[in-house]
Amino acid sequence: MKYAFYPGCVAKGGCPELYTAAVKVAEKLDLELEEMTDVACTGAGCMPTHLSDPLNARTFAKAEQMGLPIMTICSTCQGVFSQANHRLQNDAEYRERINREYLAEEGLSYQGTTEVKHLLWVLFEDYGMEKLKPLIQRPLAGLKVSPFYGCFLRRPGNIMVPNSDVAGRRGYLEDLIGALGAENVNISGKTKCCGFPILTANEEGSLGMVAKHAGESRQNGADCMVTPCPLCHLNLDGNQPRAEARKGQKIDLPIVHLPQLLGLALGFDTDEMQLGRHIVSTKAVNDKVDMLT
Amino acid sequence: MEVTYKVHRKDPENGGESGYSTYQVDLPEDATVLDGLQKIRDEQDDTLAFRASCCQGFCGECSVRINYSAKLTCTTKISAVTKKGPEILCDPVRNIPVVKDLVFDMDAFLWNKIAAMKPWMEPEEEFAPTENVVPESDMAEVRRTMSCYQCGLCDEGCAVLPVDFDFLGPAALVKGYRFVMDPRESGARQEARMKVVEQPKGLWDCTHCYEANGKCPRGLAPSNKIMEVRDVAFKSGITHEKVARHHASFIRSVKHTGWLDERKLAMETEGMTNVAGLMKLLPTAVRALRRGKMPGRHEKRPGAEQVRRIIEKAEESK
Repeated sequence: MKYAFYPGCVAKGGCPELYTAAVKVAEKLDLELEEMTDVACTGAGCMPTHLSDPLNARTFAKAEQMGLPIMTICSTCQGVFSQANHRLQNDAEYRERINREYLAEEGLSYQGTTEVKHLLWVLFEDYGMEKLKPLIQRPLAGLKVSPFYGCFLRRPGNIMVPNSDVAGRRGYLEDLIGALGAENVNISGKTKCCGFPILTANEEGSLGMVAKHAGESRQNGADCMVTPCPLCHLNLDGNQPRAEARKGQKIDLPIVHLPQLLGLALGFDTDEMQLGRHIVSTKAVNDKVDMLT
Repeated sequence: MEVTYKVHRKDPENGGESGYSTYQVDLPEDATVLDGLQKIRDEQDDTLAFRASCCQGFCGECSVRINYSAKLTCTTKISAVTKKGPEILCDPVRNIPVVKDLVFDMDAFLWNKIAAMKPWMEPEEEFAPTENVVPESDMAEVRRTMSCYQCGLCDEGCAVLPVDFDFLGPAALVKGYRFVMDPRESGARQEARMKVVEQPKGLWDCTHCYEANGKCPRGLAPSNKIMEVRDVAFKSGITHEKVARHHASFIRSVKHTGWLDERKLAMETEGMTNVAGLMKLLPTAVRALRRGKMPGRHEKRPGAEQVRRIIEKAEESK
């Protein structure tokens, strides 16, 4: 299985541990990744569509030329890509206008055939749990994990879960936690926003969301939370100390990236998955995982 | 069919504590949840308070959480909510002061916020001597948006309101869309309108989490409407200063290097001369440095020139 790998800005910036973990895990699973190095940021919902759609059409056209589907490791990249692709694939006139006005000069043209999939979807829809399960060297027995999807991998529903064939996307994270041998600890806000997008306009509200989600997970007895989105990670992990200070409550909940949790089950140690690069100490997770080896 | 209603009760004015009352009701198969509530009030308990008006799905008055999911009671069949068992749990919609039982404070929930959008057309100083004809194509979506019956279900599912009740919420922002997109308001009046929509706790406080799309019984896709108003703000110039700095920095970074410079973004969002704001970033920066999370030198990507060309051309095309 081969993919045009689009790591996104954060995995190359504020969450370098995500990039490392994803690449190591992909190698172990024999997922061949050809990294796209000459393409733009998706816009992350921070750029208006009239700027980001042409940039994303360029990325899709490049993957089309490579003859490969794109694999992302960031829900935000995935969400913005999926929405842009939806517009470009369903409106030939719009696509042609973008080809003509923006891509032709570079000799590129997007035909609308590129598929974009987050690693979480790849694991279930392309790879398969039957193939994954025998590779698990360290079942994460006793590790209590809260799933946290965030927004972009789930909504808008008509785009992110477009038909009943992929209805499982609403539960992949819980299914994966189970498949890795860990225990699911449910929280009410697992598909809600982490607060990251309003850090600029409403910091108090944003930190309130961090405290709400991480606090509930802690209260429900989780050892950690797992997320497929590095922006959720930046807020839930990076801003957890600030959320604690504002709310006057200690939470101390480690937040792990999806490939890190998977990597631990595949036999990598906590250093290899770079858990030491988190703001909230992952000691509780490390200790449990070390006991399993 | 025999169903059990478990209804949230609260009577704050009389010092009543929260709790549930349980009622057994015999209803026809095709009855609505509202039919049951009315039957309970008529036959079993005339102290039960709930809202309803048109009883046919166009006034948006009867929003209630039915089995943990907010719906209009008058369009929700009991058969649809009793598939797992004959119990119907009714709670008031979330995060809003309850007046009594299932009746919530509509002023706090919706009307004050919609009023903050100044939901009326500002007249031109000089009236045109003839009719103000606008093309149908410009009005079609505006008119469709006017079919919002302000049930507030989009607000009920909002991710921000539980942590900040002062957020104006998707219902009010959709009202903002209705005026921003109205071709009869243009020029200085549209500039003033954008300031109203972009006020603190307004347009930029939305997390664009797309929850609201799934909640709207009219299928108006409130989240898309909010994003379309943002696209207007990008073109006309963002009036919220901090947000404007944030977006300008974001776009500048992608334009110059092809990708996002997170370090610069954080600083430029605060403002490079805003010492207090920059100092506030320091503890987070120190933590990131200690953990090896501070992004390194921000190198220009291959293809950055093409990215810049595309952005510049798209910016011109606005």
